[in-house]
Amino acid sequence: MSKYAPKLSELKKEFDEKPSVLKGDYSAQEWWDRPVEFRDGNWCFPGKQEVLADLGFANPRKWAATDEDWQLPADWQKTISEGLQSRLKKYRSLKLFLDACVRCGACADKCHFFLGTGDPKNMPVLRAELLRSVYRNDFPLVEKILKGFSGSRKLTKAVIKEWHMYFHQCTECRRCSVFCPFGIDTAEITMLVRELLNLIGVNNNWILAPVSNCNRTGNHLGIEPHTFVQNIMSLAEDIEDHTGVNVDPTFNRKGAEVLFITPSGDVFGDPGVYTMMGYLLLFKHIGLDYTISTYASEGGNFGMFTSNDMMKKLNAKMYHEAKRLGVKWLLGGECGHMWRVVHQYMNTMNGPADFLEVPVSPITGTRFSNASATKMVHIAEFTADLIHHKKLKLDPKRNDHLRTTFHDSCNVARGMGMFEEPRSILRSVCNSFHEMAEDTIREKTFCCGSGSGLNAEEYMDIRMRGGFPRANAVKQVKDRHKVNSLVTICAIDRASLPPLMNYWNPGVSVYGLHELVGNALVMQGEKKRTTDLRENTMAGFEDGGDDDE
Amino acid sequence: MVTQYSMKRGWTEFLEANKKAILERWLDCALALFPEKMGYSTPIGTVFSGALEKILSSLGKRENDCKEALDDVTRILAVQNFPPSKALSIFLEPKLILRDIMMKTKVADTLMQDAFNSRLDALTLEAFDSYMRHREKIYQLKVEEGSRRMYMALRRAEA
Repeated sequence: MSKYAPKLSELKKEFDEKPSVLKGDYSAQEWWDRPVEFRDGNWCFPGKQEVLADLGFANPRKWAATDEDWQLPADWQKTISEGLQSRLKKYRSLKLFLDACVRCGACADKCHFFLGTGDPKNMPVLRAELLRSVYRNDFPLVEKILKGFSGSRKLTKAVIKEWHMYFHQCTECRRCSVFCPFGIDTAEITMLVRELLNLIGVNNNWILAPVSNCNRTGNHLGIEPHTFVQNIMSLAEDIEDHTGVNVDPTFNRKGAEVLFITPSGDVFGDPGVYTMMGYLLLFKHIGLDYTISTYASEGGNFGMFTSNDMMKKLNAKMYHEAKRLGVKWLLGGECGHMWRVVHQYMNTMNGPADFLEVPVSPITGTRFSNASATKMVHIAEFTADLIHHKKLKLDPKRNDHLRTTFHDSCNVARGMGMFEEPRSILRSVCNSFHEMAEDTIREKTFCCGSGSGLNAEEYMDIRMRGGFPRANAVKQVKDRHKVNSLVTICAIDRASLPPLMNYWNPGVSVYGLHELVGNALVMQGEKKRTTDLRENTMAGFEDGGDDDE
Repeated sequence: MVTQYSMKRGWTEFLEANKKAILERWLDCALALFPEKMGYSTPIGTVFSGALEKILSSLGKRENDCKEALDDVTRILAVQNFPPSKALSIFLEPKLILRDIMMKTKVADTLMQDAFNSRLDALTLEAFDSYMRHREKIYQLKVEEGSRRMYMALRRAEA
């Protein structure tokens, strides 16, 4: 126990003296009576009018969370009430989650936002209670009779403001669910509340603009097909410059065996593009018959943070394109929430994808029966299988300038239970890998703090707060093992961890797993390598002397 | 009983003798800044307890070697929801703690108290600098994030 742990008598004294909602010092008030305060840095810009118009979403207008009047539609209460009722009928899980919680508090200190802010409304139990208290007011009759005992409240504009604030301080990471004895998925409660808020035009532009772009152009940034091709070809040229190998990707090629889909961040952003270079080198190395679509040009699915219907629509696009191109199966890149959508929702939303074949690795013959419904294989599974069968020629020394640790991305770890595959790859492609503390990895991994569409620049303060538990765990391995590289398999991580590291742990860079694979791959016909894919000098290869090849 | 401290090394000895008591109260004040008091074993609790101890130890020394610890504390404070005045108030807290302890232990050494207080004032100003550096860092991160997101577009524009 910490030497600073308080004694029982001290705790009692503190409890007696300090006002607290726990013992009724706010006895004249309820816990929800303390109003939320929006100020710069703690709210995301709302959806632009043209974005909402493009999507056909409700209540396009110019507004800000700091406004007193949010210009809600006249019948907003009815819309929310009916919206909640219809969803309770549609989703048994929601009803179960709202009814089953016994307020045991096991989740309370598991949320990275609670740990980073100390705000009680960021305890998952209380966050869910923001909705539950309204649900109880409108619903079961017995509870209604026992009103006053049931902790119910009326749906007011203040409640909407509170929802907007706290359901945007949840990244849908599901760490709380791991500790819940009932398995209540608070992420699904957040998803449902955000869906309800969208019905009355209370929203976030950083989520809706990518949704609209993806809906129209096919990817979050709205990159049109010719630019999409140009970007990837430009990366292919870089690869040729660094390695002397022509990777030669194809686009929209009918009859290819595999359609490869990755988050578009890998095509336009730094450091995602280096991960893309890793994929391209890998596919060339094994001679995979694959193509990339310029229409299904996005693996990410911000529909998941918007509404069930939008998530379904954006997910369907990938399968439509697979059908159009006549491929056998889908290979998916390093992404987080894309995999929660594919792994947990796709089959009942758009599946089963009977027109595709159960994926079989053309190199090793491994049949991915775990993907028999979705026909989509995660690239970490695919590569781990290649390495297991010794099909890759790797030189891990080429990553000796990197001392790595691995960040489990929430949705891949908790959403699909993938823990070992990325670690197995990492151990094969580099010589220095150190795990973070046990309670901060695998299913207990801490979120980057920017997931679920909260990666907005104007939200930086809150993101830094929410990401602190993750950053703190990285700092421990940085101090203990001189770790300088945080490896991850999620595009939002690749976008959001660099500022998080830059703030909390300067000197730690963020890498995609397949970027390290790309560094380590010994390609046929390659030229002498002295730098990695970022053009950083590789330790021991400075003069091109120590290369075995 | 009145405790005697030598004039020359009084400050260091006094701090050493009362370090635990000062630190406990100081840490409590710091953790109580948050909407609900932050737990001792949380990441913030752990960082605060380590850093405040280092800062306190350095107060007794001639050389100031607590820059890193000071950064660890202000880095957390600079992104919280409370205003700078409230955040930095924790560096003034030890003055009150010290006064209480001196009264309790019946040490009446105004010279030492003055020295301690002025050292804390200097520390508070250093904390202010550090806090501001972190606020500026936040704005810098916003700019850098924008460029990273547009990496390929900027690369083409520059080509």
